Amino acid sequence: MTRHFIIDTDTASDDAVAIVMALQWPDVEVDAITVVYGNMPLEVASANARYSVEVCGKETPVYEGCAKPLLRSAAYADWFHGPYGMGKLGQLRPQRPAAGQNAVEELIRRFRAAPGEITLVTLGPLTNIAAALTVEPRMAEWVKECYIMGGAANCVGNVTPAAEFNIWCDPEAARIVFHSGMKCLMVGWEHCRFDAALSDEEMAYIRSFDTERAHFALDCNSFALDAGRRIQAAAGLMLPDPVTMAIAIEPGVCTRRSRHYVDVACADELTRGMTVVDELHVTGNAPNIDVCWEIDKPRWKEILYQTLQ
Amino acid sequence: MAQKIIFDTDPGIDDAMALFFALASPEIEVVGVTTVFGNVHTELATRNALALLEFAGRSDLPVAQGAVRPLHLPFEEPATLVHGQNGLGEVALPAPKTSPDPRPAAQFIVDAVMRFPGEIILAPVGPLTNIALALMLEPRIVERVAGVVLMGGAATVNGNVNPAAEANIWHDPHAADLVFTAGWPVTMLGLDVTMAVQMDDAYFAGLRTSRLGEFIHAISRFYLEFHRQVHGLDACHTHDPSVIAYLIDPTLYTVEYGPIRVVTEGIAMGLTLWDRCGKWLRPNAWTGRPAVGVCTRVDAPRVLALFHERIVGERLPAQ
Repeated sequence: MTRHFIIDTDTASDDAVAIVMALQWPDVEVDAITVVYGNMPLEVASANARYSVEVCGKETPVYEGCAKPLLRSAAYADWFHGPYGMGKLGQLRPQRPAAGQNAVEELIRRFRAAPGEITLVTLGPLTNIAAALTVEPRMAEWVKECYIMGGAANCVGNVTPAAEFNIWCDPEAARIVFHSGMKCLMVGWEHCRFDAALSDEEMAYIRSFDTERAHFALDCNSFALDAGRRIQAAAGLMLPDPVTMAIAIEPGVCTRRSRHYVDVACADELTRGMTVVDELHVTGNAPNIDVCWEIDKPRWKEILYQTLQ
Repeated sequence: MAQKIIFDTDPGIDDAMALFFALASPEIEVVGVTTVFGNVHTELATRNALALLEFAGRSDLPVAQGAVRPLHLPFEEPATLVHGQNGLGEVALPAPKTSPDPRPAAQFIVDAVMRFPGEIILAPVGPLTNIALALMLEPRIVERVAGVVLMGGAATVNGNVNPAAEANIWHDPHAADLVFTAGWPVTMLGLDVTMAVQMDDAYFAGLRTSRLGEFIHAISRFYLEFHRQVHGLDACHTHDPSVIAYLIDPTLYTVEYGPIRVVTEGIAMGLTLWDRCGKWLRPNAWTGRPAVGVCTRVDAPRVLALFHERIVGERLPAQ
């Protein structure tokens, strides 16, 4: 039976690969892609998302949403993803325009129309989702489950020592989503590091597929690969969004998960966006979301390979 | 031509007075009512809005239910001490026969504003959450509204929740700051002018010749009692109806201009801090922000006369 996904994304490099994975997976139908500012300004992320759809020969509608965080000004990650966010591919010019409707409206409309049937995968700041949940709190019950690429479960961040970029961008939005009652799995950026990153050999293997998708997946990450090595001592190509997508495609890729009280630091700059997981249940607060602790790394890579071959 | 408004409300005794004031005034065309938490929980606000419209014979007007909590803070308790458990001073209205519009309030606002560009004034008299959410859904409404005329804040006087904060702003200071700084024309009717217009028992008694007036008299009992107990005042402040008075006749008010920022944390949370000077040695949080029209003085006798005229005159569909 076909599973239905909606992907919310600030499309740059690794988002693009995650989009390709979902669009290529046999029993997954991506109903819509909603775009948010984040890695890139909204209109650049939107073009990147639409181009990624076209690489797969699909016509999935792409809706543009929030251009800045709920309460803060926008900050982008061109220092990590390059000027247009797609590595050596530069500025992309997709054939099709974005759909006319606003992403937040569209999220509410689609989840209302099919309660309990659509999986949400978020790859960027949670602004669109938080706006939708504030406008329509019942959406929390309508989402089948939500896989969130975001945060760092009680470990080091990637944009500050405390925080991962997506959550750091809009911590107030993340807090709304985490406490919304929606069934969530938080997949922190730590799951794309070390052995989960693609080695030179693995990248060469992908290159050997010689498909448009394989070249696209590597080329759009060329800047991020260098930046990861330079800034974050990466073992290879780190792909946080594709890891999250692999889990959404096959939940067993997450081999250890548990439910905890998780909150987001919003009050000061030092800890802005920190995802504080009550791992030992010391607060006594009721658990609100699931946290991913371990993944099956070989299996995540097999899923990736399958979608690029 | 009548001014189109969207009335965003948390009814609320003075909300009900303001809604009837608007419905009974030919200068104003209410194109929709949107509801929010505040004086009451949002669901009750929606029920009350529907019931009030039904009472006024205007069930043709759409009601869209809005936010149930602030953008960032938790929702504090509704103001049952001010407005009663049912929000209308324990005066019961029949359960409404009509249902709300299926759209969330923010969506309703966006749709209406985009449909009638340049024609609609947003008239919020509760926390500004729906208005801020509408801005997030569609930033272009900033250029497409005719303006925002709101009840909230206190520019030159103390608040009414605490010395810093007026209740509507205090409930959602983050939303309020977004609304004040969005760049659209905002006119603020704060406690500066709403507390200066007072309706006493004799005034309410004078309204009883009409059906609307009789209802307002009934709900004012609870409201008067609150003002007696907490403010030691033998009259009610005229908060939400002030927005409608301004929309009918802006010459009732003196308006001065300057940017307003809202304090969003600490002991002064909810304070509407108004830059009345504009000249500072260094740039600050007010620098470059749009000027807000702040009503600083009011011709109170004329406001009272106008409200009386409209409520007693009752230009509404026959029951």
